[in-house]
Amino acid sequence: MYGMLDIAVGGMIAQRTRFEVIQANIANANSLEDADGNFSPYLRRAAMFAPGDPAAKTSSGRQMGVHVVDIQIEANALVKRSMPGHPYADKDGYVTVPDINPVVEQMNAMEASRAYEANIVSAETAKTMLSTALRLLA
Amino acid sequence: MSMMGITDYGATGALEATIRFAGQRQRIIAHNIANISTPDFQSLDVSPIAFQKALSRAVDLRRKAGDSRGLDIPSTRELRKDSSGNLVLRPSTPSGNILGQDRNNSDIERLMQDQTENLMVYRSSIELLRSRSEMMRSALASRV
Repeated sequence: MYGMLDIAVGGMIAQRTRFEVIQANIANANSLEDADGNFSPYLRRAAMFAPGDPAAKTSSGRQMGVHVVDIQIEANALVKRSMPGHPYADKDGYVTVPDINPVVEQMNAMEASRAYEANIVSAETAKTMLSTALRLLA
Repeated sequence: MSMMGITDYGATGALEATIRFAGQRQRIIAHNIANISTPDFQSLDVSPIAFQKALSRAVDLRRKAGDSRGLDIPSTRELRKDSSGNLVLRPSTPSGNILGQDRNNSDIERLMQDQTENLMVYRSSIELLRSRSEMMRSALASRV
């Protein structure tokens, strides 16, 4: 009985982590400095998934679940934007800014949210299956 | 099946222990959920698998002894019985979760999963116990 929900829950955690990464991308679309105030445009991040969930409690969850294996930082996700007079502008008036497209991020966020819902439905189905089995037994 | 067979089949003790365990564990899970946003909080739990192993060992021992005394669940690191027969759980901190920004290692999804599973176990044990007492009641009713 224990662990029937492991796979769905692993999926939910992975999708939530992915959603958090997307939120960070949207929030930092205009971040040009790092926490110490040095010029360092924010680099777009992406959550990488891999099958198997080491945090699961049962062997089926460990083998068949999903987990976030890495949050990759895209080293080249930068563009130059013409902003003459900006403190960080180069001699031609261009500033290197994060290459974050809000439309793409929104689409990814929507997909993560739908995938989270799909995992909830799968968890609900597991619960219904358990209840049905219980009605048959007792 | 004789009346003795119905009343003394051995499942009642195991079901009772499971219900006690699930009831105690619910308190631990509720404690974890209540502290979901407490900084530095490390979630606590007891292992249901360890409990099931202890329970099956107790059932084996009883079967070998061959008598009809109650189940005697052996004490483990996380589990012991007090003088009045109640289960006392000593939760230890499970490791392996990722620390959040507030150094809290709980995943709300995992906690909800634990709660749902615990509730399912509780419900099914209660249902099985209820069906046993129904069985006994109907046996009595048709005999008298």
